[in-house]
Amino acid sequence: MPRWGMVIDLDKCVGCQACTIACKEENNIPHGSPQEQKRRREIYWNRVLAVSEEGKYPTARVQIISMPCMQCEDAPCVLVCPAKATYRRPDGIIMQDFRRCIGCRYCIVACPYGVRNFNFKDQVPEEYHRPEIPPDRPSIGPWPFPQRVRGVVEKCTFNFHRIDQALKEGKKVGVDVVPACVEACPTKARTFGDLDDPDSEVSKLLASRGSFRLREELSTHPKVYYLQG
Amino acid sequence: MDLTYAPIEGKSRGFRIMVTILGIMVAVLLTSFLVVYLRGQQVWGISDAVPWGQLITLDIYFIGLSAGAIVVSGLSYVLRREEYKPIGRIAVLMGLLIFTGAMVCVLVDLGRPEKFWRLFMYGYLNNMTSMFALNSIWYGGYILLMLVYLWLAIENKHRLAMIIGTIDVLWAVGVHSFTGAIFGLIGTRDILFSPIKPFEFITAALTSGTALLIIVVAATFKYTRRQLDSKVILSLGRLLSFIIIVLFVMVFFDKLTHVYFPEREGAIFLFTGPYWWLFWVFQIGMGIVFPLIILFHPKAGKSVKGVIIASISVVLGVLGERAAIVIPGMAQVQQLYPGEIQGQWGAAGVFPITLWESLLTLGIVSLVALLFVLGLRYLDILPSGQNTETAKHE
Repeated sequence: MPRWGMVIDLDKCVGCQACTIACKEENNIPHGSPQEQKRRREIYWNRVLAVSEEGKYPTARVQIISMPCMQCEDAPCVLVCPAKATYRRPDGIIMQDFRRCIGCRYCIVACPYGVRNFNFKDQVPEEYHRPEIPPDRPSIGPWPFPQRVRGVVEKCTFNFHRIDQALKEGKKVGVDVVPACVEACPTKARTFGDLDDPDSEVSKLLASRGSFRLREELSTHPKVYYLQG
Repeated sequence: MDLTYAPIEGKSRGFRIMVTILGIMVAVLLTSFLVVYLRGQQVWGISDAVPWGQLITLDIYFIGLSAGAIVVSGLSYVLRREEYKPIGRIAVLMGLLIFTGAMVCVLVDLGRPEKFWRLFMYGYLNNMTSMFALNSIWYGGYILLMLVYLWLAIENKHRLAMIIGTIDVLWAVGVHSFTGAIFGLIGTRDILFSPIKPFEFITAALTSGTALLIIVVAATFKYTRRQLDSKVILSLGRLLSFIIIVLFVMVFFDKLTHVYFPEREGAIFLFTGPYWWLFWVFQIGMGIVFPLIILFHPKAGKSVKGVIIASISVVLGVLGERAAIVIPGMAQVQQLYPGEIQGQWGAAGVFPITLWESLLTLGIVSLVALLFVLGLRYLDILPSGQNTETAKHE
């Protein structure tokens, strides 16, 4: 069984937000109003942070951190979800089952990375149907949801639908098929693949350079690595 | 001497006006719930930055009040202290009804309230590593125990009431400790994360529960023109002062741990951030310092009035304490990467007070008060007095 992971090269990332937009497009995520964005109610499965490290203008140093869900090995959200709505697939992807989610938002409280989003309202239905994309399990229904469910939590899925489809068609994940955010990156800062396969691009990158993960001290063992220096 | 109990007559003007007002507030509760259910949680003050708001604050506050009231009822039914007998039944009824209110809070707070039953599947369809799901065992058992306890108390089955009462008192401690664990076990939030949280919760529960019981008993006996030995209130006041000191020690060492090392950001945010007043004014000022000054004052501490004023201060202070856990606990920005996160992702969460959320909160408080008043009207809760009652308010 593969263990999907992502490597983001911080030296290549220019903070253009192409990943954020590609993610919204791929997963049919609605755009919020400026007020919703300011109030932290807009749904983002992927976001790009600007962190000012040291110094002041004009010598300030700013680090751009692009963040999908970290897909933790030991995910606090899976631990705290009372309804088994958040679960870990055998390939390590943390999924959210909307039909099970009761909307208690405990996972948002427990997530160390703030990558979970609550649906505060009914979204305007958009025309978006992908009958060719198989659902993860019959109970989850069509994916991606043409119309979202209000009152449930959602999150990044590493584009599991693309992965499943590719495996079924015998394509190579990480080479022929990658998540939309990886595909859209203009500087090729993002790489996707099997962390357990020593010949995969991600494993080679991790072996070649120094890397770190966010909030490693919490022992959540994220599967998103950042290359730096 | 055997006490006889009787329901209040409820024929006075004051009683009718009060029931009408509370009834209107319950209608407001239903309306505001409908609004939220149809329009979504966008009408509340919560956001992804502060995902829990007024209802979770009220929920843990109510669970605390209930646990406190049940533990104090143990003075009458478990320890068999005669002087507390007149207030024993009131304490059990309060515990039951306030806890019902807490469950209404949880239900209404869910994004999909129609799926609440998933919390009570005891391992079959829910995840028992979640403190929420684990609490379903505590909460379900607690309600059943309180129902049986109240029934035994009303039926004067003293021996059985003592057995069930003992279990219920211990169960109440478990209920609130595990409610504290919902917060204390979250290692990602600096302000919440603390192994002492369950104990702090149960101590805060005892202070607020005792204080509210003092207020309710004093008000009920006054407005229904019944006689109550002032010694009962004064001894409860002494008990209160003792528990407040224990609470102070807990809070002191909890915060001391958080300002020591390695991570101070959470404590600094709580002490000096936008919600400093919740901590300093409510939790410390009204919850600990002011009531202690009054209760240890040579004159005020020995007067019923003084004890009641201290109790009101504690009840409000502990409500603020619960808010000081929920709101700043969530609003603090998580340190994802060394440095200062710019823009919206680095701004501390804001939690505005909004109309529908506040109406829901007031509505749930009114629902509990209404059930309590109706309980007094139809059940043998109060010792029968010589005079007719006029009104009672909570």
